[in-house]
Amino acid sequence: MTKQQISMVMDLNKCLGCQTCTIACKRIWTKRKGMDYMWWNTVNTMPGRGTPKDWESMGGGFANGRAKAGHLPTRADFGEPVKSNQETLFFDGASDMTRLKPINKPEWGPNWDEDQGGGEYPNGYFFYLPRICNHCSNPACQAACPRNAISKRPEDGIVVIDEDRCRGYRFCMSACPYKKIYFNEEEKTAQKCIFCFPRIEQGVAPACVRQCPGRLRHVAFRDDEEGPVWKLVEKWKVALPLHGEYGTEPNVFYVPPLGPTAFDKDGDHDTRKSRIPDEYLISLFGDRVLEALETLKAEMEKTRSGEKSELMDILIARHWPDMFPSHDKDPAIIDWKEIS
Amino acid sequence: MSKLSRREFLKYTNASTLALSLRRLTWVAPTLAAGKSGAASLEMPDYDSWEDIYRHQWQWDKVVKSTHHVNCWYQRGCTFNVYVKDGIVLREEQSATYDQTSPDVPDANPRGCQKGACYSDRMYDAGRLKYPLKRVGKRGEGKWKRVSWDEAMTEIADRFIDALNTDGPASIYFDGGGGATSGGGGTAAGRRSKLLDLPGFDIDAEVGDHHPGINVTCGKMFFHSSGDDSFYSDLILNWGGNPIYTQIPNAHYITEARYNGARIVTIAPDHNASAVHSDDWIPVNVGSDAAFGLAMAQVVIEEDIFDKAFVREQSDLPILVRTDNKRFLRASDIEPKGDEEVFYIWDQVTDSLQAAPRQSLALGDLVPALEGEFSVETSSGSVTVTPVFAMLREHLKDYTPEITEKATGTRPSLVRNLARQIATAKSAAVLTQSNFSKFYHGLEMERAQLLIMVLCGQFGKKGSGLNAFPMISPDGSMSAIRADADDPEFKKVPVMPKEPPLWQRTGPDGTTFERMVFDMMRKGYMGGGSTASSLFFHEHGGLAPMTGSAKQYDPYLKRDATAHLEEAYEKGWQVHPGPAPKVFVESGGNILRRVRGDLLKRGFLDSLPFLVTIDWRMSTTALYSDYVLPAAGWYETNDLVFSTPIAPFTNITQQIVQPLGDSKTDWAINCLLMEKIQERAIARDKTEFKDRAGQDRKLDRVYEDFSFNRTYEADGDEELLKNVIKACSNLETSWEELQQKGQSRFTDLSFPDMATEIKADETITACTWHTEKKMPWPTLTRRMQFYIDQKIFFELGEALPVHKDNPAIGGNYPLQLTGGHTRWSIHSIWRDNDMMLGLQQGEPTMWVSAEDARSRGISDGDRVRVSNDVGEFKTRIKISPSIRPGQVVVYHAWEPYQFEDREHFQSIMPAPFNPIQMVGGYSHLQPRILIGQPNMSDRGVRVEMERVG
Repeated sequence: MTKQQISMVMDLNKCLGCQTCTIACKRIWTKRKGMDYMWWNTVNTMPGRGTPKDWESMGGGFANGRAKAGHLPTRADFGEPVKSNQETLFFDGASDMTRLKPINKPEWGPNWDEDQGGGEYPNGYFFYLPRICNHCSNPACQAACPRNAISKRPEDGIVVIDEDRCRGYRFCMSACPYKKIYFNEEEKTAQKCIFCFPRIEQGVAPACVRQCPGRLRHVAFRDDEEGPVWKLVEKWKVALPLHGEYGTEPNVFYVPPLGPTAFDKDGDHDTRKSRIPDEYLISLFGDRVLEALETLKAEMEKTRSGEKSELMDILIARHWPDMFPSHDKDPAIIDWKEIS
Repeated sequence: MSKLSRREFLKYTNASTLALSLRRLTWVAPTLAAGKSGAASLEMPDYDSWEDIYRHQWQWDKVVKSTHHVNCWYQRGCTFNVYVKDGIVLREEQSATYDQTSPDVPDANPRGCQKGACYSDRMYDAGRLKYPLKRVGKRGEGKWKRVSWDEAMTEIADRFIDALNTDGPASIYFDGGGGATSGGGGTAAGRRSKLLDLPGFDIDAEVGDHHPGINVTCGKMFFHSSGDDSFYSDLILNWGGNPIYTQIPNAHYITEARYNGARIVTIAPDHNASAVHSDDWIPVNVGSDAAFGLAMAQVVIEEDIFDKAFVREQSDLPILVRTDNKRFLRASDIEPKGDEEVFYIWDQVTDSLQAAPRQSLALGDLVPALEGEFSVETSSGSVTVTPVFAMLREHLKDYTPEITEKATGTRPSLVRNLARQIATAKSAAVLTQSNFSKFYHGLEMERAQLLIMVLCGQFGKKGSGLNAFPMISPDGSMSAIRADADDPEFKKVPVMPKEPPLWQRTGPDGTTFERMVFDMMRKGYMGGGSTASSLFFHEHGGLAPMTGSAKQYDPYLKRDATAHLEEAYEKGWQVHPGPAPKVFVESGGNILRRVRGDLLKRGFLDSLPFLVTIDWRMSTTALYSDYVLPAAGWYETNDLVFSTPIAPFTNITQQIVQPLGDSKTDWAINCLLMEKIQERAIARDKTEFKDRAGQDRKLDRVYEDFSFNRTYEADGDEELLKNVIKACSNLETSWEELQQKGQSRFTDLSFPDMATEIKADETITACTWHTEKKMPWPTLTRRMQFYIDQKIFFELGEALPVHKDNPAIGGNYPLQLTGGHTRWSIHSIWRDNDMMLGLQQGEPTMWVSAEDARSRGISDGDRVRVSNDVGEFKTRIKISPSIRPGQVVVYHAWEPYQFEDREHFQSIMPAPFNPIQMVGGYSHLQPRILIGQPNMSDRGVRVEMERVG
């Protein structure tokens, strides 16, 4: 049994789409052979086809209490990593009209539909959706694995794939409705976000959290009533799971986005409707999303009129380490010689 | 066991890979010994589970603080922890060690972006330069011979000596681009130029960072509040920038200010990433922002909701203008010997003419009239005068929101609503960047922005103001450049005194300390201190047919722009660049990528005898150079970067690992160059040259002078830096402390322009000396000046701020190409990096509106040919309903070599100069470094596109 569940809230009103989280993850975990196309952390422009392409229609989750197979995402669905011809162009005396370009001709990638979004001008809309493994309380990947290679760590609830047990059947990839599991062709194992457990073990927040310049990721144990996650999810009810309908009980939650005011047909402001359609947000975050947005707006109205708001103070996070108070150790001070 | 070459080692390792491969046992332990630092620190760990592999992957040998001395300008100032294992940089993380300025405001942590977070990939990627290369093929072909430093430097030194002897020092140009530092690199560049009498190469106006409208109105542009100051705003306008793309580390202050009660409003043609984070987005036509701003000014005046006290005190709006000749009424009008720079107001209390105060902006008992006509006796009879404000009110009748809707495409309700919000906000701020100054009529766009902010009194309060050009530097670096050879601690050339009483002191004629400094700088500039690169490329770059082509497009011009330029040269308003270049050294910039209009296509290289590039990556300029000299990467050199008040911290880079291959630090490369010049001058018996003033100079001790009599030689930059930091009066730290902390907050300004004090526990609010201490502004009228009674301003109808439609630059085509800095690169530095390209589509793209794509039968992902009268390029397109119909967007700094046939997206930009930006000879309108030179405008160029595949 999981004693404690580590969890995260991402505030979409603060996400810049800069992908520093994506890079932070890439530079620490997915540099090995077979991992070049892996982005355990992704940020997609929504609405969009996302990563892997069309993941929201790939299915998975549960049916009648058993893991349900969805579409098994392929490497092409995730997209080839760009590999360009720098060496021939720069140093090998190629024709001077040759241009730098990807020689492996990727046709999709982790951010292919960046800033495209939906709607119609001037009521176009988009927002950024960062995603990691949801470290679900009821993981479909675990239920789907015939090798019992997937487990939740008892000490923190992080969902991990035992790469020694894994035989590469990939049922987990098919069952995960979020399509956040990759397959390493070189090592023949499934691999995914590990919630930076080696950092968590040392009291250090995950790389994507500490490296987020937009300051949108809060981390705490779910039941820690002093921590930001409990306050945002349980107390203020402004943070919601993504596609909760799959029943996997994600432990990553989102503060939904407030779009700018919409326009009527004459080009004047129309405050009666939302730029980001309500039904779209409901399709992502469920019925409670409208209530969450109302709470956010009401609390923002308070600060506008000079009143205090605990919710706003949490989301602002004047003192950055308060975003992950139980894991606020500076990794740079770790001395591995002392630890080993 | 096979011996891995160092290159292969780098390709496959980053050390953690080694650890992982142990599990698969595909590599065995002796492989490790092939690594540079050997196996000593890599004993075989005792793995008992797959989890240990991940645990081990996270471990490192050491962590060192550093940063990236790239010019990311508004977003710079980020300390990183750089993790090193086995002599290789593994990765980096934002250090997140900034103290909170005050418990009221969010701290600066973690401060960084994705580009900085993958520099460890960039520094080892396939574009990295490792060895000196000599061109053996055609330019741009990529055929090289690897040569030694000595061989390269011998030819380069000989070229320098020859040029000094034949055409003089003015024929040698160094382009520093955005790579300037305040440490070894910057000191080397400054001392080299001083000793060889090379002119500076001032690119500020060329690239459109020169804020012409701010300078015309304020007499200066270097003022900017700190990023955390905007947390006090209750209204933030993203107007002239896209900070969610271009200020990644600062952007949280905007989203957090919103949670703290601020309204965020983005004004832009497209619903961009900053609009997404706003309460309101106000769409405007491309290039119509002056009309939008003037309409708001009209509203606050008509509704009488503007700040009269502020306007009377801080602006020229109460100053009287003669109705007969439209010039300000001056003391010289009243009596022949009167002062040309004494101006008048009409005092409503005494109903009399009074000289406008000059030594202080404080009005005392005066209440200047804003309306009315008054009769005044001058030495040549009676004249009628009226305040600028009355003229402005009349002028703005042509700018009601209903009238401007035609230009802006913006509904009047949106204009009125926002104007009222600015007027009633406790503290409104405009987060502009260097966007409007890249428009042909950018000067007017900035004036209009300032006008609405001044009318609403939005300056000098915490969280208010229009933020202009952010810059603050460790001031000791200037001493290191100026010091003589026998003064290695720069004791004889102390930094500019900076006690606030002195910097706020004003002479009886309203000359402030900053004004005196600016006047000195203007004198230095006019004396040839630096060359305006826009004029250089106009005269010597083959661009004149385009940069001088404004009359083709601008219906308001009565004369050719080239005729205006001739007038400007003749009257000493602008300085003609020196002779054609004999030697051009690219050292920190990338002219073949940067210069609008495309030097490659216009024959610049055909007439350039010798091009050298010093860089750590293969830029287009490097690819076309005769020699390429490999510079050390940012984790391979000690240096001190320049900073901004947005993040008012000095930052350092450290030599964490040795320079890769044969690369060398900027300081070392300059030492080699100067030493070789000295050696070759002696060997060739050519030890003398005439400087630009005609004085004899010697080369036989030039390296001794450069290196402070060999105190700081090629490996001496760390010692040099220690003394630079000691010489700083605006930092209270040491090199050793910076090594530990990576950063230190500035304790004082470096230039007086910001006109405020830096306090340890407060955010920085610019311009409070003007608003609170009533210090005059450094303009003709000593006020923020909206009326310019100058000949060219009259000729072009711009004496008061106006809107002029963006001309059809490039020809009569339906689409307007805009741009802006990309989020994916700083200039071109990450443009060819596969990791960053992998988060885009791997090659240049152009954003197109759904409507324009549909009407041309173009689908998402198609390739299109984009063309106009000047040229064409091909690109892949992205369709988005967020783009305004009629607008297409290419974010900047793709390299020419990323386009088919190397037809760059900037090659379709004629980049015409606007003659309004050539004006001089008018008090504060006279060029000085970074300011007052014509810009190669690039925004809103007209194009058409067609599908090619």
